[in-house]
Amino acid sequence: MTRKALPRTPNRLDPIEGSRDLDEQFMGMIVALASEVTVLRARLDAAERLLIEHGALQAGAIDGYEPDEAAQKEREALRQASVNKVFRPLREAAQKDLATVQETSGR
Amino acid sequence: MIEISEQRAQLDHPLIAVPSHDELVEQLFVRDLKMFVGGQLEPVQAQIARVEDQALPATVSNNRADALRKRMARHESFRTWLAMKRESQRHLWSTVADSVERQAGELERLAQVEAPLGSVRTDETFDVPAYIQRGDIHLMPGGNAHDDGSLLQGAVMDRGGAVYMLGRNGGMLNDLRGQTAVAHVLTRFPDFAPTRILDMGCGIGTSTVPAATAFPETEVHGIDVGASILRYAHARAEHLGAAVHFSQQSAEKTDFADASFDLVYSCVLFHETSQAATLNIMAECKRLLRPGGLMVHLEVPLLHDNTDTWTELNGALEAQYNNEPNWRGALTADYQGLMAGAGFKDLMIGYQPASQAARQGPFRFGPDSEGVFRSWFIASGVA
Repeated sequence: MTRKALPRTPNRLDPIEGSRDLDEQFMGMIVALASEVTVLRARLDAAERLLIEHGALQAGAIDGYEPDEAAQKEREALRQASVNKVFRPLREAAQKDLATVQETSGR
Repeated sequence: MIEISEQRAQLDHPLIAVPSHDELVEQLFVRDLKMFVGGQLEPVQAQIARVEDQALPATVSNNRADALRKRMARHESFRTWLAMKRESQRHLWSTVADSVERQAGELERLAQVEAPLGSVRTDETFDVPAYIQRGDIHLMPGGNAHDDGSLLQGAVMDRGGAVYMLGRNGGMLNDLRGQTAVAHVLTRFPDFAPTRILDMGCGIGTSTVPAATAFPETEVHGIDVGASILRYAHARAEHLGAAVHFSQQSAEKTDFADASFDLVYSCVLFHETSQAATLNIMAECKRLLRPGGLMVHLEVPLLHDNTDTWTELNGALEAQYNNEPNWRGALTADYQGLMAGAGFKDLMIGYQPASQAARQGPFRFGPDSEGVFRSWFIASGVA
């Protein structure tokens, strides 16, 4: 049987006085992201507990984990990539401002 | 503390959409977010409102809540609180819809009941009332009248309703209001022995099943505006062993015969309708009841039983941003006058303490609210 997708947008969302649509869009994205992170964290926790339960991981092993040099390097790159990805708009905004001041000062 | 937990199977009735690990965590996240919004953000807004209310000129008396609203709207935190409250509600329906869609096949299989005790009657020509169409109640996408030919909207309403009430309303059965309405009947008439009962605005039957359980020999009917939620209500009732006959009808005008019921009741129906509909529903109750029959309407606490401006404003905001079409109308109605006008006598208006199981009481009724969720407003009268 072919099934129709359930609707996701309610009919009638009154504007909140003094708020921009963008504010609500941001809020929606932040709630969704917080939800994703919470689910991810719980899933990781469940994985750890199951691994410990089944003897594949020792309790405290993750907190006590000391990566070797190669692993440290790879983890460093992962963190850098995250920072660059998440905060790209701020870097772009700063570069744009810089370009503007350079242009107006004639250099 | 709260009856939604990670112990999934224990609390669920057989038909309720059972979430996966991730879905459950997301639903608990919504619950926690709602508790944060209600428990951490809202009290601060209440404090701001108290200060703002004191600053209002004494001459503002008529529309004090409106005047307070204008002052509150100047605060950015007031606006983010409102936006966050609404977003938590939207997120609730979204995550529940995902979970229901994932197990749609299984739910439809469970809904195939071999020898049903009750029945369901839907009506493709049903004229959905304007107050239902104007905005999706509680922001549930598609609204109460949504019908795609399946029972999935009912499954969304069931699971979402239990999370929405944060488990305060009878856990996953979400049936405290129905139990409380029936407990009121037994408070008035301990030996009540009805032949036919009607629950108006029954939704997925959370308020209807308690009547069928308390009066197993009685023919119990439930009506509502949505075919999908009624199909689900039917399957849910069957899984709970309750014989209920559901039909798609407006409480303003049903196709039941005159004087054909001993009890007609509703749970939080009026604030989802309109003032004109309330009058029609009262008249319809009178028509449907045999002389001496009982009408019972359960609602949220009345506004004039709350005193401060913030409570009134907060209610108005809830009504507007969570789409409650007749919040103010239902909460300020003169139920004494409405019931007397419709021809009812032996009127009772007040508060019935929340009941876990109607037959176990508590069998007391008084003029004062015992607190939100601890008691419910009830207006009842004899035809």
